[in-house]
Amino acid sequence: MRARDATCSKIFWKIEMQQIASAAEMPVVGRQSSLYAIRAKLTDMNVAATVILLIWFALVIVPIVILFAFSFFSTIQFRTVYTPTLDTWVGLFSSGRWEVTLRTLRIALTVTAIELAIAFPFALWLAKRCKSNTSRAVCLALLTIPFFLDMSSRTIVWRAILGQSGLINTILINIGVVNTPVEWLLYSEVAVHFGMVVSLFPSMVMPIYLAINLIDDTLIEASNDLGASPWQTVSRIIIPLSLPGIMAGIVFCLGPALAAWVEPGMLGGGFVNLISNSIESAYSALRYPVVAALSAFVILLLLALLGGMYLIARRFGDPSSSISVLKG
Amino acid sequence: MQTQDNLGLRQISPKLGPSYAPIWKQLSKWGGFVMLAVIYFPLLWLVLLSISQNPLGGIPGSFSLDHYRSLFSNSAWHKPMLASLVIGVVVGLICAVAATIIGRALPTMRSPGRVLLMFVVPLFVPGMSLGAALFIVARAVLNLKLGFWSIALGHFVWAFPFALLIILVVTIRFDHRLVEAGRDLGASDWRVFWDIEFPILMPGIVSAALFGFLMSFNEVMRSIFLRGTAETMPVWSWIQAAAQQSQVPIIFSLASLVLFVTLPLLCGVFWLLFARVGRS
Repeated sequence: MRARDATCSKIFWKIEMQQIASAAEMPVVGRQSSLYAIRAKLTDMNVAATVILLIWFALVIVPIVILFAFSFFSTIQFRTVYTPTLDTWVGLFSSGRWEVTLRTLRIALTVTAIELAIAFPFALWLAKRCKSNTSRAVCLALLTIPFFLDMSSRTIVWRAILGQSGLINTILINIGVVNTPVEWLLYSEVAVHFGMVVSLFPSMVMPIYLAINLIDDTLIEASNDLGASPWQTVSRIIIPLSLPGIMAGIVFCLGPALAAWVEPGMLGGGFVNLISNSIESAYSALRYPVVAALSAFVILLLLALLGGMYLIARRFGDPSSSISVLKG
Repeated sequence: MQTQDNLGLRQISPKLGPSYAPIWKQLSKWGGFVMLAVIYFPLLWLVLLSISQNPLGGIPGSFSLDHYRSLFSNSAWHKPMLASLVIGVVVGLICAVAATIIGRALPTMRSPGRVLLMFVVPLFVPGMSLGAALFIVARAVLNLKLGFWSIALGHFVWAFPFALLIILVVTIRFDHRLVEAGRDLGASDWRVFWDIEFPILMPGIVSAALFGFLMSFNEVMRSIFLRGTAETMPVWSWIQAAAQQSQVPIIFSLASLVLFVTLPLLCGVFWLLFARVGRS
C-alpha cells in the first residue's frame, strides 16, 4: 500500500541523486573514484542494518519455514516423532475438520465480500469526493485508531449489546417489533460475521484509499469530458488503477478473517468452530505437528485464494503492477 | 500525500470534478460513516457499562463508581499490567531504534522493494500462524522456557512493520543533500546524524515508538501462544472474561481506564505525524 507511494518518490529521488553524483564524480579519476564508491557502498548498507536484517530473517522467515517442515512430523503419545510423514496432513481432513475448513472459508469470503462492498465506495468518496481536508484527516485518523485498541475488550461489549437483555433486543421489544428476545443476534454465525466486518473494516478501507488517492484527477476529468458515464469511469478508470490497493485490502481482510479467533470465541459462544479453534485445541493437547499443519494450512489457503483473486483481477486491469512495484 | 495537487486542480476547474449519481455518492458516504459509528459505539457503551450498577444486565443504569472501587481494591491485575507496560516500553524502544536504522538505509539500497517486502511479511501472515510458528521454534525446536521474553519477541515481530512504514514516511521525504552539505562542511558521521537527520526524523521516530508500544500493549493473539505461564494485561482480561462472568464488570472498568490513556496518546501521535510533519 504505502510501498507504492514510497517507491515512486524514491525512484525520482534516485534519479536526482545519480545526476548529482555523476556531476560530482566527473573530475575525479581512477583509484579515488573507486575508493569513493566502496565507501559509499559501506554507508549505503551499513552494518547495523545488515544485523537487523539477519535477526529479522531468523525471527520471521526461518520460523515460517520450520512451521511448514514441522507439519510433516507426527505425535505419538504426546511426543513429537521426527520422521517425515504425511500422517498429520492426512489426519487433518479425516477428523471432521473438513467441515470446519469449509465453514471458515465461507465466513472469511463472505466477510471480505461485505467489506469490499462497503469499503470501496467509501474509499472512493474519501479520496475523490470529500471536499474538506479536515474531515478527510478526521476520517483517516478514526480509521487508523482501531488498529491500536484492544480487540477483546471491544468485542466483549458486543455481548452486552446483542445479548438477550442487551440494547438491540430491549429496543426491539419496546417498539413492539418482537415479543420475545431475538436469539440469533448473539452466539451465532450472524454475530461472528458482524464482529469480523466491524473489526476488519479499517484494514480494507486504508489500502484502497491510498491507491485511489494516487489516481490523477485529470484522468477522471478526461473520462468525463469524453462522455463516459459515471459507472464507466469507475469500472474502466478507477478500478483498474486502484487494483493494487484492492488486492492489498483483500489480503489484509482475508488473512485475519481466515485466522479469526477473538470473534468466534467471544461472539460465537462455542457454536461457531473455525480453524483457529482447532489450532488452539491442538495446542492445548500438545500436538504441535497438528498446530503446525493447521497454521501452515491457513497460510496456504490464503495464498491459494490470492492466486484465484489474481486471475479474476486480470480481467479488470494489470494486477502485476502491485508486484512490480515491490521489485523496486 | 497527493491532496495538494488535487486541490490545485479543483480550484482551476471546479466544474469538471468526477460526477457520480448523487444517490450512490450519498450511499457510499453514509455506508462508511455507519461503519465508523459501529466501530466506535462499543467504546462508548463500554464506558457507560463500566459506571453502571449492573453491567451484565445489558442496559446502563443507576450509575455508580462501584466497579472502579472494586478494581482498585483488587490487586490481581497489577502484575499483568506492569508486565504489559514494561514489554510495551521495551518493544516500543527497540522498534524505534531498529526502524530508524532500517528506515534510513532502505531508500539508499539497490533493491529496496525486496527488503521492504521481507520486513512487511508479518502483515500478510495471519497472527495466529506466526504466533504458532514462533512458538514451535522456541518450544519444540530450541526447547526454551517461554515467558516474557518470547512475548516481547512476538510483539516486536508484529509491531516492527508498522514502525518501519511510519519511519519511511519521514525518511523518504528526507533531503539527502542536507547530509552531503554537512559532510562537505567537515562534520563527522555522528554529528551529521545527530544535528541534521535526527531533528528532522524526530516526529517519525517518536510516532514509531508510540505505535510500537500501543501495538504491543493491546496484543492478544500472539501472546496466547508465546506466553508460557506469563500473563500480560490483555491476556489476563481475556482469561477472566472467558472463565468467569463475575469478573467482567472489573474488566469493563479496566478497559475504560486503558482507553482513557490510549486515545489521547494516539491523537498526540497523529498530531505529531500529520500536523507537524505536514507543515514542514
